[in-house]
Amino acid sequence: MRKIFFVVPILLVAVGIAWAQGGMKKKKPLPYEFGSVTINNYSQQAGMPPVVFDHWVHRQYYTCRLCHVDIGFGMTAGSTKVRSVDNMKGYFCGTCHNGKMAHGKKRIFESCAKEYTREEYKRCVKCHALERSAAREEEFYRFSEKMPNERFGNGINWEMAEEKGLIKPTDYLEGVSSKKANLKVTPDFAIKTKVEGMPDIIFSHKKHTVWNGCALCHPDIFIGVKKGTSKYTMVELFEGKYCGVCHDKVAFPQTDCQRCHTKPT
Amino acid sequence: MNTKGRLKLLILTGCLSLFVTLHTAYGEDAWRTDFDATCAQSNDAMALSMPELQKLIERCNSLQKIIETEEETVRKVFLKRLQMCRNLYVFVLETKMQEQKPK
Repeated sequence: MRKIFFVVPILLVAVGIAWAQGGMKKKKPLPYEFGSVTINNYSQQAGMPPVVFDHWVHRQYYTCRLCHVDIGFGMTAGSTKVRSVDNMKGYFCGTCHNGKMAHGKKRIFESCAKEYTREEYKRCVKCHALERSAAREEEFYRFSEKMPNERFGNGINWEMAEEKGLIKPTDYLEGVSSKKANLKVTPDFAIKTKVEGMPDIIFSHKKHTVWNGCALCHPDIFIGVKKGTSKYTMVELFEGKYCGVCHDKVAFPQTDCQRCHTKPT
Repeated sequence: MNTKGRLKLLILTGCLSLFVTLHTAYGEDAWRTDFDATCAQSNDAMALSMPELQKLIERCNSLQKIIETEEETVRKVFLKRLQMCRNLYVFVLETKMQEQKPK
């Protein structure tokens, strides 16, 4: 009995320390949840559920650059502080979600309204989702079964999907994007690893610039432009810095070592 | 005031309001055109010379002053976009300057 008085406090302290350090293991997102971002700057204040933004729905149509540079969305959830009034004016989500723009024959639904009927509320909850929708989940699986497989993330190899012509992400929106000169791509280069036996990383500018351009990564995410001027550690990457800004959150996870450490040994 | 005078005043008012409307619309377009032209070179930044980069940074600075006078949403979107392309030009310029420094 006395042992209990000794063991229980120790266990409580240990759990407390683990909790305080964020030591509880993060739940691995399911394929359809990977890349989902919850945005709740103003929604709940306005009596609406937070917005659940699914990257997979959008990245099949648009490049990362188009939304994060031309439309102006930040790279972290909630950093843009989008207000419904911004959308109604035709900015941010409202750039495309204006009830006029279409994908093929499918019209993109209009985002946000000052007043809405009970019927129109169905449109609101397409983004302001209180809980996961089974229909949305099914839509994801119907989409993903046509795509090349990937081991991690949401199970879709987006790069290959584009190579095979299964997706054609747009990089230009009339009236929004600036007409740019053709991108001059810097050749691929190797980044030396510190761990013995681990192949070096082959970084492909081509693969990254085709969806991101230059300004999305430089200088905000990567300050060094000359090879070798910046040192990165896997710890920093897993903390969400450098490559970790996208990889693990939206792009394939960094646990898929072989996707980056590709230099033949 | 006689009828002729009234007519003159009416024409003058019309011209003045047309001028104000056109000026506002053109002014809006002017900064946007300038913005597009300035940020369009961000794909090319590495190939630009130092004076070209310097010039683009100056254009970004002038544009910033204009955009700051716009309404809140426009300001939020375009200041962020402008900052991204300005930062890239500054970054490339600084890199080029460092490369030129004797080792």
